[in-house]
Amino acid sequence: MRTNEDQLVELAIAGAISAPSFKRGPFLPDNDGLSVVRPGMFGYVYNVRVGDPAFGWQGDHVEPGASIDHEDGGVHHALHYLTCMGNRAVVTSGLATGAEGIVVGEHARILIDFDEEVHEQLCVGDTIQIRAKGRGLALLDHPNVELKKVSPGLLHRMGLETASDGKLQVPVAMELPVRVMASGAELNSEYVDQDITSGDRELMRESGIDRLRLGDVVVIHHADHRIGRGYRRGHVAIALCIHGDSVMTGHGPGILTLMAGTDDDIAWTIDPNANLARYLNIRETL
Amino acid sequence: MRHNADKLVHVSVMGRIASPSLPGLPAEPYRLDADGKPFLYPSHGSIVYNVTVGDSAYGWLADTIHPSVSIHSADTAANQGLNVLACVGNRAKVMTGAATGETGTVTGKSGRFSEHVIVHFTRAAREKMAIGDKVQIRAAGVGLELADHPTVKLKACSPELLAKLTDGTDDEGRLRVRVSATAPSHLLGAGSGLVSDGGSLHIQTVDREALVDAGLDRLRLGDVVAMQDYDSRYSHGYYRGAVGIGIVGQGDSPRPGYGPGLTLVMTSHDGGITPVQTPDANLASLLDLHA
Repeated sequence: MRTNEDQLVELAIAGAISAPSFKRGPFLPDNDGLSVVRPGMFGYVYNVRVGDPAFGWQGDHVEPGASIDHEDGGVHHALHYLTCMGNRAVVTSGLATGAEGIVVGEHARILIDFDEEVHEQLCVGDTIQIRAKGRGLALLDHPNVELKKVSPGLLHRMGLETASDGKLQVPVAMELPVRVMASGAELNSEYVDQDITSGDRELMRESGIDRLRLGDVVVIHHADHRIGRGYRRGHVAIALCIHGDSVMTGHGPGILTLMAGTDDDIAWTIDPNANLARYLNIRETL
Repeated sequence: MRHNADKLVHVSVMGRIASPSLPGLPAEPYRLDADGKPFLYPSHGSIVYNVTVGDSAYGWLADTIHPSVSIHSADTAANQGLNVLACVGNRAKVMTGAATGETGTVTGKSGRFSEHVIVHFTRAAREKMAIGDKVQIRAAGVGLELADHPTVKLKACSPELLAKLTDGTDDEGRLRVRVSATAPSHLLGAGSGLVSDGGSLHIQTVDREALVDAGLDRLRLGDVVAMQDYDSRYSHGYYRGAVGIGIVGQGDSPRPGYGPGLTLVMTSHDGGITPVQTPDANLASLLDLHA
């Protein structure tokens, strides 16, 4: 894949491991309106890692690994707009200083994976610095495919090919139907994610969506993700599953936009191994 | 239609006429349409002199324009009270300024980025109003239930509106509701996953062909619209067999995911609502609102 990566600027940006927090009254209404309290967002999640199932946890919007943020609004947005999937990160304060991690998601905060041996040293508030690189990345032979938040390192490991008809061929773990795409439609597609609405539990089972894993690369047909995330026939979005299921209606596992184009530009093949954990050598098997 | 309207508590909620608001420095007022083209149009808020319930929801050089008057409370918690307790069809009254004493009617609400309550007043009343004028609403409707339709949940629906929207029950006991159109789930966008006790759920209009196919390209402000396969009991989301009923509260938008916004007034997750296509199922005629 020919790219313009030699022109990209690589720079440092930092945030701190967030503290889990609740609104006053910690309850969430589930699909039937019952109040539940679940962990999942913020902080450091010890036992859910990229490559694990997105469904089935007793959690809500589970964010694998460390979720980092910055209290300054400008820095917060810079973290969201400059960090790319697969970027390298390093701990710069606390007991784990020097430990290296890797960016595996962007939700309300930036999600960073660390090896298990680092777990015990990480603390809420520890600073993590990212080598942000990927903003501006383009595929020279696919000028109509827009890349979003893909680091060059990830791009070259995604199994991308140019098909005989000139389209970019992308391996994906599954196709998601556009009608289940929900919360996040109000946001621009450079910021955070859009949730699958999982309230129709039977549909999740019938369609196999409930086998989705954190880190899966997925495709949504008839979704235009160039500027926002909306319905448009003939458009194609390639996305990454970054957080776990939710009890709330209109919510569920979240997907982050990686590529946007049309039927003329992007085709896909189903590959159960199309997962970030394998692409970034975080796990050998899924 | 057996209901508990006589048990509802009528309470005052108040907002001030909201000013238009745009982002500050670096003085980049543009928003992007679905193709990335910048646009700069009037958006939510203010006194809108020439757009009224009953007018087209499309064609205005505007972004989700609110017809007539939008009100808001500067206090976040009070604004939440205003946004949740005000019901479509409730009476409003101007309490300060040159238009003091003028009465109006709640016609809709707006979502995450403005959280206004949208109130209809005559054009003559609008001419006398000023930004910042206090508008008080006699809020009644939260808690309203239908005795014979336990799975039909009413939200932001005044007893007056309920009476006009419903048309008895069908042979299978489902509540018949007059609508002007039905929106398929794939065309419902911004607002999904967000609260349904206030705010708005938007019809997506970027794919104009799909809009025409669904018969949604001629909507008017105030139209009653059914939402197919959408469950809005607690927040909005896809659910097969569910039916929601919304009122077109604000106009079309060039932004992706956006378009005419719906203020939810009813929802049934188990299909307890039968939408009945009815000419003129619009607030202007149902509630006798005049410009």
